[in-house]
Amino acid sequence: MSLLFRSKRGEQGAKITRIGPIRRFIMFFVSNAQQAVGSLGELWRTPFASLMTIAVLGLSLTLPATLYVVVKNSQAVGQQWDNPAEITAFLDKDLSSQQVETFQRRVSLMDEVAEVSHISREDALREFREYSGFGSAIDYLDSNPLPDVLIITPVRDYSSSERASQLQRKLASENEVSEVKLDLDWVERLQALIQLIEDALGALAILLCIAVVLIVGNTIRLGILNRRDEIMIMKLVGATDGYIQRPFLYTGAWYGVIGGLIAWLATFLLIWWIRAAVLRVTELYDSQFRLQGLSFNELLILWAVAVGLGLLGSWIAVRRHVAAIEPR
Amino acid sequence: MIKFEQVSKTYPGGFQALNQVNFHLRAGELAFLTGHSGAGKSTLLRLIALMERPSIGRVLINGHDLRKIKRRQIPYVRRDIGVIFQDHRLLMDKTVYDNVALPLLIEGYTHKEAAKRVSASLDKVGLGGKERHYPIMLSGGEQQRVGIARAIVNKPPLLLADEPTGNLDPKLSMDIMRLFESFNSVGMSVLIASHDLGLIARMRYRTLTLKDGRMIDDGLAHDHHGGALTGSEL
Repeated sequence: MSLLFRSKRGEQGAKITRIGPIRRFIMFFVSNAQQAVGSLGELWRTPFASLMTIAVLGLSLTLPATLYVVVKNSQAVGQQWDNPAEITAFLDKDLSSQQVETFQRRVSLMDEVAEVSHISREDALREFREYSGFGSAIDYLDSNPLPDVLIITPVRDYSSSERASQLQRKLASENEVSEVKLDLDWVERLQALIQLIEDALGALAILLCIAVVLIVGNTIRLGILNRRDEIMIMKLVGATDGYIQRPFLYTGAWYGVIGGLIAWLATFLLIWWIRAAVLRVTELYDSQFRLQGLSFNELLILWAVAVGLGLLGSWIAVRRHVAAIEPR
Repeated sequence: MIKFEQVSKTYPGGFQALNQVNFHLRAGELAFLTGHSGAGKSTLLRLIALMERPSIGRVLINGHDLRKIKRRQIPYVRRDIGVIFQDHRLLMDKTVYDNVALPLLIEGYTHKEAAKRVSASLDKVGLGGKERHYPIMLSGGEQQRVGIARAIVNKPPLLLADEPTGNLDPKLSMDIMRLFESFNSVGMSVLIASHDLGLIARMRYRTLTLKDGRMIDDGLAHDHHGGALTGSEL
């Protein structure tokens, strides 16, 4: 792409073979590939120069990734109580089974109620005998001390704590009901806690990402200044800023690629480390909970974030510093 | 080829390096630029290679006003101008081949095509077969010739040399000057800044003389060498 000698060059005597636009287009990708490989080779030859930056990049991403796994799992726990407003209504013990059935039907017809299930006093006693360990003692009782129980699931609109308590009061005012229980508080607390962790995680992740960008940017900046003379010479023989910038951008991307792998590894190790502790806790709660690690997609996202941060950091550095170096 | 119209260059701080310089170097011409150190030789060359911009006046290359060249276009202009420096400006950690091939690879040649041109270029300066050497293994004169090979490898129509023989003995200097003559004979326009007056006198080419930033002699009034005047117009 000769600017000054478009028409004249052929006549100058020196024979010139110019490169056509298609060749130029193809060579753009070829030289990109060469520069990408070249940057990797540079990393390979001088690993210690970049090792710290790569490690910082990887480990900085490990913390948010691990916290993300923790939040994801606590959300999974929270979801098991996604309908927190399960209302338990203990009925009057004097009711006949006919009356219980009628009442159950009446409750199920209420607009606020999605589902009603009935645990009869006989079933409740049988279950109690089996699981409580008082088996034979219960046999000495004259009569069944347990009431009939209705477990009422409100419709979605009524599952918020406020509306559910409204429904709770309505049910409590019924004649057939002796007591209504709505156990909301701990679910609310759990969800508030998860929300808190999520927000803190978000803020922390953003801070760490900014730190990563700055660190990568600084490393690339030093690399640019180290090769100041080379950049000057390249500019003198007609290299565009883009051509000079590309190896540095690729270096940033490689930082991300390798840093992402480090983040994977470190996250796996951390989750493996806390898995034992989590299992002990869940055993105590007699729960079927299993800790979930990062899914395949999440691993890819983590990697993409690492590469993106590496690129962003190097982009900020090259934009400022490559243009500033002018041949003298 | 190169035309200066009332060009002045004042550096920040007030030092005036060039003062209303006018001259016209025709296409296919070889000329010397001389003057004591600090007279503005380097500044003049730097204005042509777009390493500086004039404070006042116009610089034209091949009829194109360099003021209209935007920053983004500068690399493409430089690809048509071979520049040779006194300090060679070689990449010391790269082989001779890599140094000379640099302009070609930047322009988008494949290594295969570049290899042919590089060896042709090195042959021309008498360094054939030294592709795999590092600059540090070469003598000063050889390093300078690597710089020359790099400047001509993409066959630019215009060649600038800033004190190309500054550190060389007379014999080597003459060899280098003969090289420039041979490039000129195939149509390259060549402008050589040098303060080696003895050498310039022996070469008998047009000589532009600067003194304190003014062009006191543009070599046309008492030209011994008629050929320079009859060179083709732009």
